[in-house]
Amino acid sequence: MSKRNISTLYIVLALLFGFGIGLVYSWFISPVTYVDANPAILQADFKNQYRIVIAFSYQATQDLERAKARLSLLGDADPIGALSAQAQQMLAAGEPFEKAQPLAQLAKDLQLGYVSNPVTATPFPTFNTPTVEATVEETATNFTVTPEAGFTSEPTLFFEQTPLIPIQETITPRPTFTAVVSNSNPFNLVGQETVCDPSKQALMQLIFLDSRDNEVVGVEIVVTWNAGESNFFTGFKPELGNGYADFVMQADTVYNIQVVTGGAFVPNISAPTCTEPNGFEYVGGVLLTFQR
Amino acid sequence: MSSSNILKVIIAIAIGAGIGLIYGWVIDPIEYVDVTPNILRQDYQIDYVLMTAEAYHYDFDAQIAAKRLAILGSESPAEIVAKALQYANNNNFSELEIQSLQTLLTAMQTYQPQENP
Repeated sequence: MSKRNISTLYIVLALLFGFGIGLVYSWFISPVTYVDANPAILQADFKNQYRIVIAFSYQATQDLERAKARLSLLGDADPIGALSAQAQQMLAAGEPFEKAQPLAQLAKDLQLGYVSNPVTATPFPTFNTPTVEATVEETATNFTVTPEAGFTSEPTLFFEQTPLIPIQETITPRPTFTAVVSNSNPFNLVGQETVCDPSKQALMQLIFLDSRDNEVVGVEIVVTWNAGESNFFTGFKPELGNGYADFVMQADTVYNIQVVTGGAFVPNISAPTCTEPNGFEYVGGVLLTFQR
Repeated sequence: MSSSNILKVIIAIAIGAGIGLIYGWVIDPIEYVDVTPNILRQDYQIDYVLMTAEAYHYDFDAQIAAKRLAILGSESPAEIVAKALQYANNNNFSELEIQSLQTLLTAMQTYQPQENP
């Protein structure tokens, strides 16, 4: 190897060495620091907190477009699904229904595209209300009594009937009323159907209606079986209905259903066996409808 | 190795280091994916405070509001809201939004954190 080649080799090695030092410094010792981050790159738990605040803020303002814009900052592929999933996770973690409900409500309204449960704004609390000292001034008023003028009516000789114009009434559709659970009449099982749909295998579907056939959100259901129990609420899958809830059953297991809010008890529910025309057998589902 | 060669090597190291720094800071910098809210851009932080204020208007729970504000940094909740209120006044926020922030500020100024048992 000539002297010239050795010298070139040293220079190339020195360049690589310098490049390595530069990378180590810029990636590990003094990396780029973010100061103007956007909510999309927040840690998952902070994103959850962000969603909660958006949902509670929406409860106060009822500004659906703004809530939608704020949610878009989080960069969720499916904001409605993310809200519903978070609400369900909160309930599964034992959080009270009142904390998860705003998330479910926002998910539902985003699904519907309008504010489904408008609330009356709460007035701001007033602090340091100034005290006003009232001064009453008495003013003497003199009344003059004037005798009433006589009234004479003149008879109308001609009367022309104004032709009647048919009134075209515009009917503005109103948002569907969403019933909220109240402790009134109990729910009763009014329908039980076997669902043979391969895409809904072993699915226990529950629908809760009020006396006007409106779906009822927020009904708590407890399903028990020999190996455990599970509780859940209606309204957390708004795309399937406000009064809808479901539960995946196991084959050969018997379930008892207790409606916590307004008390029906339905024992001995199990997944039926369905058979397709070609003889293929699979575990079917059940659709239970409750009404009060 | 002659002194001129040593100089060439030193220059090569310096050039390599410069290229490495440009690559690490500009071309392919470290990307953060799980950041904390305290490094959010100012307008996002202000909007978060505003949402907290609006949520407070819904539940009037000062403790929860203080907890929500705490993720924005080590400053006291009252200081965070005061800054947001100043920003809102300087940036033509609506009267209702300013009123919400003002209400939250009053609540945070009088808020006493509950001691854990």
